[in-house]
Amino acid sequence: MVSNPLARYLLRRLGVSALLIVGVTLVTFVLTNLVPGDPVAANLGQRAAENPATVAAYRAHYGLDRPLPVQYATYLGNLVRGDLGESQQTHRPVLTDLQSAVPATLEIAIGAIVLSVLIGVGFGVIAAVRRGQLTDSALRVVSLVGISVPTFWLALVAFYVFSFQLDLAPGSGRLAPATTAPPHVTGLYTLDALLAGEWETFGDALAHLTLPTLVLTLYTVGLLTRFTRSAVLEVLEQDYVRSARAKGLPGRTVLFRYVLRAAMVPILTVVGLAFGALLSGTVLVEEIFAWPGLGSYAYQAASHLDLPAVMGVGLFVGIIYLVINLVVDLLYGVIDPRVRIS
Amino acid sequence: MFGARRSGALAAAVAVVLAVAACGSGGSAGRSGPTLVIDSTFDLKTVDPAREYELTGQMLTHGMYETLLTFEGDDLGTPAPGLASAYELSPDARTLTLTLATGRVFSDGSPVTADDVVFSLQRVIGVKGNPSFLLDGVTVAKKDDSTVVLTSAEPNAALPYILPNPALSIVNSKVVTANGGTTDDKDGAEKFLNGTSAGSGPYMLKSLDVASQAVLARNPAYNGPAEPAYDTIVIRNVQAATQVLNVQKGDSQVALDLSGDQVSGLDQGKLTVTSGPSAYTIFLFLNQGADISTATSNQQYVSAVKKAIDYAGLLQVAGAGSVQPASMIPTMITGSLPAGEAPKQDLAGAAAALAASGVNGQTPKLAYPSDFTLLGLSFQTIAERLQSQLAAAGITVELAPAPVATELDNYRNGKEEMGLWYWGPDFPDPSNYLAFAPDGLIGKRANWPASAAPDIDRAAKAAASVVDPAERANLYQEFQRSLNAGGPFIPLVQPATNIVTAKSVTGAAYNPIWTLDLGAVGAAAGGQ
Repeated sequence: MVSNPLARYLLRRLGVSALLIVGVTLVTFVLTNLVPGDPVAANLGQRAAENPATVAAYRAHYGLDRPLPVQYATYLGNLVRGDLGESQQTHRPVLTDLQSAVPATLEIAIGAIVLSVLIGVGFGVIAAVRRGQLTDSALRVVSLVGISVPTFWLALVAFYVFSFQLDLAPGSGRLAPATTAPPHVTGLYTLDALLAGEWETFGDALAHLTLPTLVLTLYTVGLLTRFTRSAVLEVLEQDYVRSARAKGLPGRTVLFRYVLRAAMVPILTVVGLAFGALLSGTVLVEEIFAWPGLGSYAYQAASHLDLPAVMGVGLFVGIIYLVINLVVDLLYGVIDPRVRIS
Repeated sequence: MFGARRSGALAAAVAVVLAVAACGSGGSAGRSGPTLVIDSTFDLKTVDPAREYELTGQMLTHGMYETLLTFEGDDLGTPAPGLASAYELSPDARTLTLTLATGRVFSDGSPVTADDVVFSLQRVIGVKGNPSFLLDGVTVAKKDDSTVVLTSAEPNAALPYILPNPALSIVNSKVVTANGGTTDDKDGAEKFLNGTSAGSGPYMLKSLDVASQAVLARNPAYNGPAEPAYDTIVIRNVQAATQVLNVQKGDSQVALDLSGDQVSGLDQGKLTVTSGPSAYTIFLFLNQGADISTATSNQQYVSAVKKAIDYAGLLQVAGAGSVQPASMIPTMITGSLPAGEAPKQDLAGAAAALAASGVNGQTPKLAYPSDFTLLGLSFQTIAERLQSQLAAAGITVELAPAPVATELDNYRNGKEEMGLWYWGPDFPDPSNYLAFAPDGLIGKRANWPASAAPDIDRAAKAAASVVDPAERANLYQEFQRSLNAGGPFIPLVQPATNIVTAKSVTGAAYNPIWTLDLGAVGAAAGGQ
């Protein structure tokens, strides 16, 4: 029996998460098999698909010749052993594909979310504090633009202006064509280059990272500015804030120790959701910057009925959201003492 | 003040980041020797010759391996010597005898032998992969150390045109066998071959990520006819919208997937644009199964549709460089018809045929892959134009778009009333187009049995049975004429292919089978 309430809570959440992951696999499996279309038709050539021996070999190789319940049970059995199956698109283990695609996306998503929090929360607080003034109006316009401008269009324009016209940013991809990737440790090229002491490669990776990160940042900044402004405004109306001001506490103390702390709970929720979205939904930006990340992989998998890859992506995204929710829930308790883990 | 300070700090941070980006954008880290960068939209799955059958895979494999016979440049009419210096097809077209070139070596320096040839071709057959059909009914045997014999169960005059396919590349059998290679479906060498090449071509595989890029390095042991011009070739997976910027900026030297519209805006003083019709035939078919549609299976209705289409209007949609094929066989392959015999719009004829058909009030569904573009040409756009052209002639069709992955099933199972698809040659021989004969591969998808068109069936069988090249060409033309007159297929467009290169690049000619011959791509004097 675990006596520590936090440990008990974590254990319970992990147990629920395991059930949810099984649920995710079941839903993904059912949905992928409900799609009208045959993976054989989508992945074999016209002539090969007409050859019974080739089709039979293909179905046997991917286990498609077995009844669906058996396929699902086999998948779960393999999953326990860390085997996510083989991609029909890349002919590699799905786990290997994910180990390559996820760090690529993670590298731009982490940068984008850090910048977004710094800028978006800052903008939101400023807009709320200066409500009704010119600064507020200007920041609301920035927020509206960030949310409204289609990210893929922004990516294309940014690439055209900063890379092609101004030559301030490098071309597409994660590295210049002739640059060799640093030795694989984390898959994050900037970090791996630093670990290997390859400074030129680090500079090249950082340069390639910049523009896609900034493009993704703009949307999330717009979102966070809007949510932060609204959350801060709501707290500013509370009696305890008025009391703090009436007692003569400095404005900055009221803002940071009373207002922002209370407003962080809804802001944190949005940050968590935005980070999840960045990890799973950057396909068009990845396509424009030729960034071999999770979004591109998911799109290719779906468009070719690559069921093991679709399952792998679904599973990964499900786990990401579970982890983010858990972290956000734990942070609620840190930020707001009234939230008790139970 | 507070906000202004923060905004200033933010602007400074962005400036610093962009400055770092600018410093790093030279991309000089790790460079050594002349490097060629090619941007292409990948459909890559593998570079194992026995398993690859995608366009990107064909190009890469052709750069790393060699075949017994090949094609030089864009000449598809004459198989040229490759690893075989000569070949002889028996009069009954059942036996192809190949004499191996002497002195050729793999990248590890070991000689290319008849045993390697037998192993490589038997492996293609045995693994039951995508390209296995190329050698359907063919057995491979070594006659002596320098002679290999291919025997076909049926007359197979196309075999010399099939052998240049990169899927039939010759691999180093000792190396592949040592890494799990076999000649049956137990073969396990694919993973090895996706990390290391084992061929005799001008380049070797340095690294491969099927999702993002392949890097090839010069093969120092190569002793073939063309000296590779580059130490390294990087082939990157880049969408066309980005390719057009990369090649203009100089980040890449070759862009392979630009549409006519994208090419028209390029500065041809700085870049070379090589345009021409591709070997793809975009076609419309009308299902002949009365149980599928009583309208599309009506011969007068088929005739009305053929006459209602504004073919010149479709070419405008397809863009500069595209052509109207006069037959299902595209212009560059033997058996194609002269342009003058291409179907033409005849609105009066269409009205008459429609009236004669008795079809009234029916709205067949026109199915097509809505998420698919071929060389920058969207099937959605062609379908919409077709719908409006047919409507102008009083023929109403309902557009039935669907993602290619799901629609393929309906197409291959013969369930589409009308279908808009394309065909690319597996090999540049007219026999590949017997697929459009009654009971052929595509004929079946149109529910078109031999009994429905005995004359066309006879024309197809006559063409298939002949070996003499001149007579073959005539008979395939006759087959195409009969197909135009009475078949359910309507050839619409051969879209253009555009290869854009920096001025420093030479020899970038389009080939329908392997797109670009990497070994033949050279560097101009003064270029890199």
